[in-house]
Amino acid sequence: MDRSEIMERITEIFRDVFDDDSLIIKDETNSEDIEDWDSLEHINLVLAMEKDFGLKFNLKEVGELANVGEMADLIARKLQEK
Amino acid sequence: MNTYTFDEISVGQTESFTVRLTDKEMDAFREITGDINPLHKDDAYAAEKGHKSRVAFGMLTASYLSTLAGVYMPGERSLIQSVEIKFSQPVYPGDELTVSGEVTEKNDTFNLIKVKVSVRNQEGKKVLKGSMQIGVME
Repeated sequence: MDRSEIMERITEIFRDVFDDDSLIIKDETNSEDIEDWDSLEHINLVLAMEKDFGLKFNLKEVGELANVGEMADLIARKLQEK
Repeated sequence: MNTYTFDEISVGQTESFTVRLTDKEMDAFREITGDINPLHKDDAYAAEKGHKSRVAFGMLTASYLSTLAGVYMPGERSLIQSVEIKFSQPVYPGDELTVSGEVTEKNDTFNLIKVKVSVRNQEGKKVLKGSMQIGVME
């Protein structure tokens, strides 16, 4: 799966979690850009990504992410390691 | 009160308890919330709307989910994160309610559990159904 496919799937996950089909997700998108992206929704995002990509994250990894691009990089790295 | 740790909980594990919802609970809920809607207070009004008596507050029935999480599953270490529910049938004062939960998912990244919940009345009819996401604190 290439990175653009990963971003497409991440966008779908964001739209599903926030119930908003108009969301545009870019590499630089972070919690400042989406009003409802609080700590609870962050958990829900990570849970949804674990399920969708069939991956397992640890708390340190997901706590260090600064934006969606870094999340996509982490997913790409984990998919390669599988 | 149960004191389950995250590691002590398994998918498929269940907990339940039974409670009778009485006028005392109705009055206390009305006092706390200020919900003075006559459907919950006036038998004649409720009858006009097709009910056999005044109807219990749905959110009062739902409030027992707090007990399910905070006392039973996981008990003391509970931190409720979200609740999604539907009210399937009316509840009437005097009904005996059995509140049940079954763990359907565990996530060890965040130490949280997902619990399928239901409330049934004394006739076994499901009056509430839904799910909860509950953090299990250290």
